[in-house]
Amino acid sequence: MSAWTLGIVLLLIKLLVVLVVLLLLAAYLIYVERRLLGFMQLRLGPNRAGPQGLLQPIADAVKLLTKEDFIPAGADRVIFLYAPALVAGTALLIFAVIPFARGWTFRGQEIPGVVSDLNVGLLFILALSSIGVYGVALGGWASNSKFALLGAIRGAAQMISYELALGLALVPVVMLARSFSLVDIVQAQARLPFIILQPLAFMIFFISAVAEMKRIPFDIPEAENELVAGYHTEYSGMRFGLYFLGEYVTMVTLGAMLAAFFLGGWRGPLLPPLLWFFIKVFIVVFALIWIRATLPRLRYDRLMEFGWKILIPVALLNIIITGGVMLALRR
Amino acid sequence: MQPVNPVTLSPWAPGLFSLALYTAIVVGLLALLLILTRWLGEQKPDLEKARPYECGVIPTGGAQFRYPVPFYLVAVFFLIFDVETALIFSWAVAIEDLSWLGWLQISFFIIILLVGLVYLWLKGGLDWRPQSIRKALPPRS
Amino acid sequence: MNLYAVIFYLLAFIILAATALAITRRNLMHAIVYLVLSFFGTALLFYLLGAPFLAVLEVIIYAGAIMVLFLFIVMMLEIKPADTPRRLYLRQWLPAAVLGVLCLAVAFVLIVFKTGESLPLPLAAASPLEFGRFLFQKYWFSVEIVSFLLFAALVGALYLGRREG
Repeated sequence: MSAWTLGIVLLLIKLLVVLVVLLLLAAYLIYVERRLLGFMQLRLGPNRAGPQGLLQPIADAVKLLTKEDFIPAGADRVIFLYAPALVAGTALLIFAVIPFARGWTFRGQEIPGVVSDLNVGLLFILALSSIGVYGVALGGWASNSKFALLGAIRGAAQMISYELALGLALVPVVMLARSFSLVDIVQAQARLPFIILQPLAFMIFFISAVAEMKRIPFDIPEAENELVAGYHTEYSGMRFGLYFLGEYVTMVTLGAMLAAFFLGGWRGPLLPPLLWFFIKVFIVVFALIWIRATLPRLRYDRLMEFGWKILIPVALLNIIITGGVMLALRR
Repeated sequence: MQPVNPVTLSPWAPGLFSLALYTAIVVGLLALLLILTRWLGEQKPDLEKARPYECGVIPTGGAQFRYPVPFYLVAVFFLIFDVETALIFSWAVAIEDLSWLGWLQISFFIIILLVGLVYLWLKGGLDWRPQSIRKALPPRS
Repeated sequence: MNLYAVIFYLLAFIILAATALAITRRNLMHAIVYLVLSFFGTALLFYLLGAPFLAVLEVIIYAGAIMVLFLFIVMMLEIKPADTPRRLYLRQWLPAAVLGVLCLAVAFVLIVFKTGESLPLPLAAASPLEFGRFLFQKYWFSVEIVSFLLFAALVGALYLGRREG
């Protein structure tokens, strides 16, 4: 077997493992979230399918796949059918640039612990999340339903507003690492994770990412007591499932992004790198579930004003101050 | 025309080839899911079922309606600040090489935009409260 | 024809086809989707030609911000699909046709007579670091002018969209 063929085979195995682990994590995250929410609200949560309800994600997948693939009257068929794939697709693709391990050596060849180390990796993530807006906006518009359109417009306006704060919070990370490559950013945190140097940027990034994901307390686009289900009101079956999957994959990738940008990536003492990476992802995901169980929903005007009047100015000032301090402390 | 480094096509390097393959697998998976749901799902079209959901009430009028202006404005403001973010990023990555001169230039740039943001704020461009509340209450400081 | 040339022509074809579809679609939303696809292809082309930073900015600003603005406008205005056949006015299509024919003629002359030397593109890729250094060392003044332009755009947008009364 030549080095090229071997490389292709190993690459395929690596990519499939990454994708399968990502999907399994997302599927079981749904179970874990429902279970944890149950405990936090003094009830049991799903516990019927399999021991402790552990087969629940599989039951859900089978149910979603066999439900009627329904298209409402007056819908824009093509856009309605493919918009959900946009949400799940961008969420899955973001993971491609996030380093998850140090890498391995096989027969003298290096196998990197990342799918693709783009030299514009960080901007690649921002670009994909700006494409994610289309999945929400087009899906809601194409449904020909008032609730869906209201949800889509609220969702799109909220996502673009918080995308600004999301991008601006990452500028100090780029300044400190002097690179857009996520591998370089993890490399630059060998001595000190950036959360210690940039706690403010971390907070801004975390809050805006939660808003970008439209999770509680920012879930106004799908506020169930006024908008039924927001932009995916008319969706059923696996197309609804893809919106759901996209949301939970985004939770996992948010954990991975926070790990790479602020928590030192796969770096950590004693334990193997891959394990550290998963620990960091789980901490973030647990925090997200905890927030969901704790906080009430914001009002829409408060939400928009918080993004524009607090997060963006603070992030901009943080950039100027960080730049000044960095240059003053330069050797 | 090959300014892209040929190394990126090696399956060992974490380059474009790897990304393209990953993208292809993701697209394939999504296509498979969409085909499966079409194929496995039962199809029983029905006039009542096809009606857009409005809590059981028969919908009046289409789903298209005019929207309040702030939603357009937020898209315009987003565009303006997005361009700003792009320029800030191109400075951020070269901060060490550009030194204090670059810092002064970008600080000036950011401050102009901050002034713009404050102006929007004072003129009510960022005000999202409904008209009725706004009239009843004194302007928020 | 090497692999890069194949990818280049494939992308060029996709961009042209998507743009043509964007122009001819009667449904505005479909036109927007095709235009986004065209911007995506352009971004990939930039990446292929060694400008990754420009490629990502193309997606972030054009596909992610400008087209989102278009999307908002189409989504929120009550636009009824026009049933009557579109009328073409002379003053609308004549300038476009003249310019189009001119462009085609110039391209034809360039291709057939090979006026320029055919130079292979130098093997150069602009890293984001080099781009930033270049921009702020050579063109910092333009960047400051851009800030004033953006400020003016902000004020203009606010006044155009201000609520009555």
